[in-house]
Amino acid sequence: MSSASDTGILELSGIRFSYSGGSAFVDNLGFRIGEGEFIGLLGANGSGKSTILKIAAGILTPSAGEVSLWNKPLHAYNNKDRAKLLCYLPQSLDMTIPFTVSELVGMGLYPYDIAPEMSVDDALDLVGLRDKAQSRISDLSGGERRRAFVAMTLIQGAGIFLLDEPLANLDIRYQIELVKLLRDLRTARKITVVMALHDINIALQFEKVILIKKGTIIGQGRPEDILTEENISEAFGVQVKIMRHPDGKAYISYAENFS
Amino acid sequence: MKNITLRIGIVLVLLAVVFLASVVAGPRMINPFTADPISREILFSIRAPRSIVALLMGMALGASGAVLQGILRNPLADPYILGISSGASLSAALGILGGLSIFGSFTIPVFAFIGALFTGGIVGVMGWKRGGIWPERLLLAGVGLSFLFSSLLMLMMTISSDEGLRKAMLWIFGDLSMSDWSRIPYGLFFIAGGIALSAMRARALNALILGDEFAYSLGFSPHRERGMLFVSVGLLTAASVSLGGMIGFIGLLVPHMMRFFIGSDSRGLILSSALGGGILLCLADLISRTIMPPMELPAGIITAIIGSPYFLYLLRKKNVLGV
Repeated sequence: MSSASDTGILELSGIRFSYSGGSAFVDNLGFRIGEGEFIGLLGANGSGKSTILKIAAGILTPSAGEVSLWNKPLHAYNNKDRAKLLCYLPQSLDMTIPFTVSELVGMGLYPYDIAPEMSVDDALDLVGLRDKAQSRISDLSGGERRRAFVAMTLIQGAGIFLLDEPLANLDIRYQIELVKLLRDLRTARKITVVMALHDINIALQFEKVILIKKGTIIGQGRPEDILTEENISEAFGVQVKIMRHPDGKAYISYAENFS
Repeated sequence: MKNITLRIGIVLVLLAVVFLASVVAGPRMINPFTADPISREILFSIRAPRSIVALLMGMALGASGAVLQGILRNPLADPYILGISSGASLSAALGILGGLSIFGSFTIPVFAFIGALFTGGIVGVMGWKRGGIWPERLLLAGVGLSFLFSSLLMLMMTISSDEGLRKAMLWIFGDLSMSDWSRIPYGLFFIAGGIALSAMRARALNALILGDEFAYSLGFSPHRERGMLFVSVGLLTAASVSLGGMIGFIGLLVPHMMRFFIGSDSRGLILSSALGGGILLCLADLISRTIMPPMELPAGIITAIIGSPYFLYLLRKKNVLGV
């Protein structure tokens, strides 16, 4: 059966990248993202998660290899056409920006000359921020701010979301809420999500993960196959135990490291 | 949105009132309807052009501050503080002293434009480190260059042997008293160009305020957009410098007031900052020539007296762009 995930809507192949003056930070990296996939990108701090996402988004240009979006080189798209297919949300969301929530969300319409069907209010409803429409971004809580930016990317209408640690600095409730929101949106809006994250317990609930170390892929596939004790030890340099909940779900324990 | 239209309307009405007051008021009030021929001559040849110059120059300063604060993501940015005005003035003075008139009556603004772009470029390069603009570096580079260029300007004035030429250049230090109709057309031309260009790129400016990565993700090319917006700052600075020389703090002050009153969306902010700048400079000029008659203070002194404490206040306050 040829499903969308066989063809790949975003594909990186033979990517080589180095920051100015440095040695290769990412070398011969390649992976393929299928339509509708929900993928966690994991790795230690400094392993290259952000770099890889920025290369996939086109913000960083690799010195070798190619990024292709819907089977066409990413650099061959003009800026606006690319923005309608692919969006990127950086890790740090500056809280000093002076806009209100609805002003920010409305910016998602910038790539369009004629506004698409989703309105600012629709997007705010989807992320549960309708009552905060006139609040300033700087007055929101961390979780609300994330959701406001997600609403902006939703209205942008791109099918592929590249999210750099969207769960950073959120408490457990907001983390769960945001992941659930994105999953619901995947079903409702048919989006494809690639997100960098640190929480292995959350990643174990994903359908697919990519584990990286120093700019190379240790493994990719179902979390129970990839997030093994051996692989985690290799990627992060710590000993962990993968446990099984009575209902069958896997979770990670690293309490032993503290004793 | 309706609310914003209403508020811009209020600003427009205020602008009209201040402008009319600045034409009518002076050491002697002149009622345009009952004026004798001499008073009418004063009104038409002295006060009207002066008020129009103040209005246009204030507009250029206000709009350039709004654009500059956005592209640099720095609430302390303003063409005066960053040395762009003094670079433009020095360049214009060089043009005058060199007796260059290759561009006809456009010589002064064209030289000012080149000087503005050149200075802005240097400040930008000096403020740039590891892929981003560092606010402190930018500010210090601007202050340093501003001192250098102002000193060079004064040096040129001092050693210049031609008395007439020296007088002709006094306006560069921010003096509106020599305003006449002759400067208005080219000032208008550069202002219209600068405001039109920046207003056309106002969405990109909003995106740049979010950050370069956002701007890219929203379908803009951050470097190209910043470049175009910077050219608009150059046009606006050239206009303000050739109209009335160096007058500070309007570009700094007005966008903050307008963010509070109109909102931060650059599409409204650029226009409203232009109007607000016009109001403020007209008002400052009116105060400067009526506060202790028959003496006249340069309008730049009034704007500095209002502006410097506000600048210090902004320095103390963090996250000013968001408040």
